[in-house]
Parts: sequence; C-alpha cells; structure tokens
Amino acid sequence: MKTSLFFIWKLELQRIFRDEGLLIFFLLVPLAYPLLYTFIYSGEVVRDVPTIAIDNDCSPLSRRFLRHVNATPDAEIVYYATNMGEAKELLRKRLAYGIIYLPKDFSNKLLSDQQAHVSLFCDMSGLLYYKSLLIACTDVSLAMNKELQISRMPDATSREAQVNATPIHYESIALFNPQAGFASFIIPAVLMLIIQQTMLLGAGLSAGTDRDRHQPMSNSSLVSLIGRALAYLTLYTATASYMLMVVPYLFDLPQLAELSSLLGFLFPYLLAVVFFSLACASFVPNREAAILMFVFTSLPLLFLSGISWPKTSIPIGWKIFSWLFPSTFGINGFVCINSMGGTPDEVKNPRIALWIQAIGYFLFAWWRMRKNNKKN
Amino acid sequence: MNSLYYIKQTALREWYRMLHHPVYLWSIILPPLFCIIIFTSLMNAGLPTKLPAGAVDEDDSPMSRHILHTLDAFEYTHVIAHYPTFSEARKAVQRGEIYGFYYLPKGTERQVLTGRQPTTSFYINYSYLVAASLLYEDMRTISELANGTIKETQLYAHGALPWETIPRLQPIVINTHPLGNPWLNYSVYLNNTILPGVLMLMIFLITIYSIGSEVKEKTANNWLQGANNHILPALIGKLLPQTALFTLMAWGCMVWLYCWLKFPCQCGISTMLFTSVLMVVAAQGFGIFLYSLFPWMRFAMSVASLWGVISFSISGFTFPTMAMNPSLQALGYLFPLRHYYLIYVNNALNGYDISYAALPYICLLIFTLLPLPMMKRFHNAVTQYKYIE
Repeated sequence: MKTSLFFIWKLELQRIFRDEGLLIFFLLVPLAYPLLYTFIYSGEVVRDVPTIAIDNDCSPLSRRFLRHVNATPDAEIVYYATNMGEAKELLRKRLAYGIIYLPKDFSNKLLSDQQAHVSLFCDMSGLLYYKSLLIACTDVSLAMNKELQISRMPDATSREAQVNATPIHYESIALFNPQAGFASFIIPAVLMLIIQQTMLLGAGLSAGTDRDRHQPMSNSSLVSLIGRALAYLTLYTATASYMLMVVPYLFDLPQLAELSSLLGFLFPYLLAVVFFSLACASFVPNREAAILMFVFTSLPLLFLSGISWPKTSIPIGWKIFSWLFPSTFGINGFVCINSMGGTPDEVKNPRIALWIQAIGYFLFAWWRMRKNNKKN
Repeated sequence: MNSLYYIKQTALREWYRMLHHPVYLWSIILPPLFCIIIFTSLMNAGLPTKLPAGAVDEDDSPMSRHILHTLDAFEYTHVIAHYPTFSEARKAVQRGEIYGFYYLPKGTERQVLTGRQPTTSFYINYSYLVAASLLYEDMRTISELANGTIKETQLYAHGALPWETIPRLQPIVINTHPLGNPWLNYSVYLNNTILPGVLMLMIFLITIYSIGSEVKEKTANNWLQGANNHILPALIGKLLPQTALFTLMAWGCMVWLYCWLKFPCQCGISTMLFTSVLMVVAAQGFGIFLYSLFPWMRFAMSVASLWGVISFSISGFTFPTMAMNPSLQALGYLFPLRHYYLIYVNNALNGYDISYAALPYICLLIFTLLPLPMMKRFHNAVTQYKYIE
C-alpha cells in the first residue's frame, strides 16, 4: 500500500479531531493549561506576609520600627503578642509566618550609642515568606540607621549629613522583570514546556493506538514519519502562537520579542519537539502507557532547563543529560527572546542546538519506524 | 472471614498480573526513583553559590577595584568578566552568560573623596528569579559595606575609638532565625514536597491504569468472580499489592531524605513513615474516585495527570497560597498534595504537635474513603462499560 504524504497528514489530523483522548492533549491542554497556570501565579509577588510583633521595649523608637515594618508592602503585623509563647502558638496555628522580637533595651541601647538587636524568626515552609520579611526588616533597619546617624551630626547641614550618612548612593535595577514577579519568571518556561510535553503525550498516545491495533499507517516509513510530523506542525503552529503570544499578553507578562526573531527560533524548536516526540513515541507499547511514561517528566525537565535552579549550579552530568531534550534549549532561548528582548544573535547557540536535535531525532525516529515496521 | 479470603485471592491474582505486565512494575519503581535521584543530586549543594556576574568598572580606581574584589569574594557571586561598556554587559546578560552586573561610573572615587555622593548601580536579571534574589543580596550588602568603610574612616578621623565605630555604623542589627531550615537549603525546601508529589501522581495513574486495563483486556469479570462479585474485597485485594509497593517506595524516599541526607525531621521518622502510608492510600482513593467519576480509562488518566501536575503549583510550597486568588485557595483543598505538604511542614520541618495538623490528616482520610459512596457506580463502570478505542 503506497500512500501519499498529504494522505497521511490528513489522516493524522482527522484522527486527532475524532479521538477525544488525543484531543485533550493536542488541543484542550495547550488551550486551557496555560491560562490556569498563569492564573495561579498571576499574583506575581507575596505581599503583606502576616507577622507577629513582640515589643518588649514599648518605646517611641520600638513602636516606630514596627510601624515602619507594617508600612512596607512585604509585611503586615497582624498580632502584637505579649510573650514568645503566645507568638509561637500563633505560628503553630499558621495564623502568621514570622515573629519580630524587639528586646527590652532596644531604645536604651540606641540612645546610648550601642547596637540594638532585633530578632526575626521566620517559618520556612516557603522561602518567599522569609524573603519578604527579611527585606521588610532590612529596609526599615537601614532607613532608621541612617536617620540615627544623621541625628548624631548636630552641627552638619542637611546636605552634609545626607552625604556623610551615605557617601555612595546606590540603586538596584531589576532587569526584564521589574517587579521580580513569579509569573513573569516561571510562565515563559512553563509555556515552552507545555508545547513539548503535550506533543510528547499526543504522539505517544497516537503511536500506542497503532500498536494496539497492530497496524502501521504506511509501509513507507519515511512518508508516514513526515506526514505525521507535518500534521503536528500544522496543529502546533496555531496552538504555539496562542500560547506564546496571546497568553502572555492576556496576563501582562513581559513581551519584548520581535516577531521575526521569535519565529526564527520557534521553527527549529517545533521541529525538534516534533521529531523528539515521534522518536519517543516509537517506544510506547500501548496507548495508555504513554501517559505513564511521559507525564512525570515535566517537573524534572523544568528544573533541568536551569530556569529556577541556576544552570551554573547544575552538576555537569545532569547538564549533559539535559541537552537531550529540546525543552532545555527552547526554554532558555524563548526566555531570552520574549522576556529579555534578545535578537537572533543572542540565541545563536540554543538555535543551533535545536537544529542539531531536529536532524538527530528525525534520523532516530526514522530508524525506529523502519525497525518497528519490519517487526510488523 | 470470607472477605479476607477474597481479598487474599484477588491480591495474589493481582501480583501475578503485575509480574506479567512489566509496564506496571516499571511505572511503580522507575519514575519515583528517577525523580528522587535527579532532584536530590541536582540540589545537592543546598544553595546555588558562585553565580556568574559581571562588572562594568568605568572608574577603574583603587576603590572601585576593591569593591569588585570584595564582591567576588562573596558566597553567591562570582565576577567572571569585566565589560568595557554598559551595553556589552547587558548583551552578556541576554545571552545568559551572567545573571547581573555591578556598574561603577567614571569618577566614583573622586566624587566620594570630594563629598559629592556618586551613584553606583547594580542590574540584575529577574527572568531567573532564584539566581537574581541571591545576587541582589550580595550586591546590596557590598554597596552597604562600601558606605560603611568610608564612614568608618571618617569616624576614626573624628577620633572615635574602635568599639565606638561599629554601633554608630549599624545601630540596629537584624538577627535572622529561619526556623527549621537555617541553611536556607533549597533541597529541603523543595524536595520534601516534590518527591511525594511525583509519587502521588504515579499512584493516581497506576490505580486507574490497573483497573482500566482489566476492562480493556476484558478480564474484569474474571477479576470480580475471584471475589465472588463482592466489589469491595475485589477492589481492596487488587490494590493491596500496589499499596505495598508504593509504600515501600515512599518509605525508601523518606529514609533517603531523613536518614541519609539528614533533612530536618523533628517529629521522628516514624511519624513520617505513618504519614506516607496515609498518603499512598489517599492517592489510591482519589484514583478510584476519578475512575468512578469518569469510567473511561484514558479520560480518567488524562484528568489524573493534569490534576497531579497542577498540584505541584497549587499546593503552595513554591508560590504561597496566600498570594493566589481566593478561588484557587479554596480549590487547593481538592489536592491531596496540599494536605501532605501541610502535614510535612507541621511535623517534620517545625516539629509541632501532631494535633495542629489534624485538619490535613482528616482531609487525607476523606480522600481515602472518597470512593466508598461511589461503589455502586464503580461496580457498573467495571462490569458494564466497554473500552472505547
């Protein structure tokens, strides 16, 4: 049976739209999952972490310190406890995530030119609580330190006091994600990963169905391979455009990409993902096994990409392992183009890697298909 | 008495089935094992250190060089390159070679000496949030320290004595006490929830797969007849071997985390071992529940995988629930991993009394018992529904 490329393409697309299992992974997940994911993280930052204050000093200075902490966007003092036991009980009930403890001699020490120590105890169930509380306390302490220093220069003019208190002014600039938000950081990576994982699952289910029915689609494995690849590419041109352009737009995530650089990068990514998926799919023994084999890989692949755990801290063995997956290069390249406004020049290395993967996985998938066809 | 016999018979049958379907055994053992190895070895360092950063030193004075040398000596920062201009440093950030850079404009030192308050700045790429937060800490500290050094010199010049200078430079000191995880160890912070999450995901899937494949292979009647058509003993017997294997995997994971890697486990490991049994049966209960609700294996498995993957985000161990939309906070209760996370935090991380985690324990118990009211529907699902291609 000789079949044309167009026939295979049509057959595969028809199959996707007739099979609700395939439709879930090829269409529903790419459409709905990005929205749900972005919605989860759309708060971007943690504000007003509930905190307990223990003010043993009860002086104007200690009250001032706590008032300023309360005024920061990061922390909110929800309870004033009288002692540590009371505060700890509130922490155990998860009514607050931190305790700020001001000792009895707080203002005494400050007024007599000694160091006063403020203790910050923090629940470590989430690092973001700790980060928020630490930033709030540090900011307030630095500002109050400066005020105290200025007040100790009675004979200086106001400008002189300013300069003496801060001889070098400094500023911190957050590049490409000005609010240091969680969604702006993780969502671009998740979107690229969803493209790969849904195609992997879809292709696996599709190949598993063939295996269940003991029927290869075509005797000519090259035509069958390219036909399927074209069908998936057609579908993903639409879903990927939606995921990578519409979703970030809907949630106001950073979008600095120039269309031409984005398309020039996405094309090899989709090719690499298509052939990677087809190559992996050739190992699927039956339909449902695809889900068992591929779903759990999402989280390790996200970490291997180096987006959350810095890639310079990934052990070399895992780094080389991560080069096997299109998502590793895809995520970093997309983050560069989309979030940082990178030009094709800046994503040269990932782009070349993706082309190599596309060719390599194409050959591998072809070899696997020939082998499988012979078995049948 | 009869029930026990039926359970035993079905369990034996299931055991042989597992041995003859390698995909079962592999999926119970390999994915969790792979994740345990990859995640714990990936984050073995605890905290990322020596993150690559750059410098743009237009001043090139002894003072600017000193600042950059000191920055390089900090724990998280490794100054790997000096760039002649701002835009070259920015391009290096975009290429991903550095996570940020410190910028010292021309004349910094001269302006300090003449009291004209120069401005230095640091640029950090927050597209990589973890690396950025750590670099920020170092770069802010060095900026404060540079100020401190200058002020210290001034104080000495005014005749201050050594023990007088420190309190004047830093009157208020913040002492931080990160409870339970004083090293800010990311591996402790993430793996304690990620690994059980992977296990739960696989339990959802395998539970549905093992029931669905009976329907697919038309062996469901044979399975039920083994228990004389009593659905509950048949179900318990079928899932028992899996419960045993998954419990072993979970215990292996706990022993690996708390005994070998010495992660904080203030409640003692036995409490966590008990909790992991509850976690396994809760996940199985949820799997059966999904199958009763959607009696098509493929669809139920799809729902289970989406549920399992979303639980990593919605359980709130990375991005706190309090910062999510209230509707999602409520939705979180429907994810067993959320309850496991709360139990872990209460028991192992913080060492609070187990009674403070009563609610999550009850929730896990509810997940375990969730399929009971649906037994009739489940019975119909396995006897009357056909596998849809």
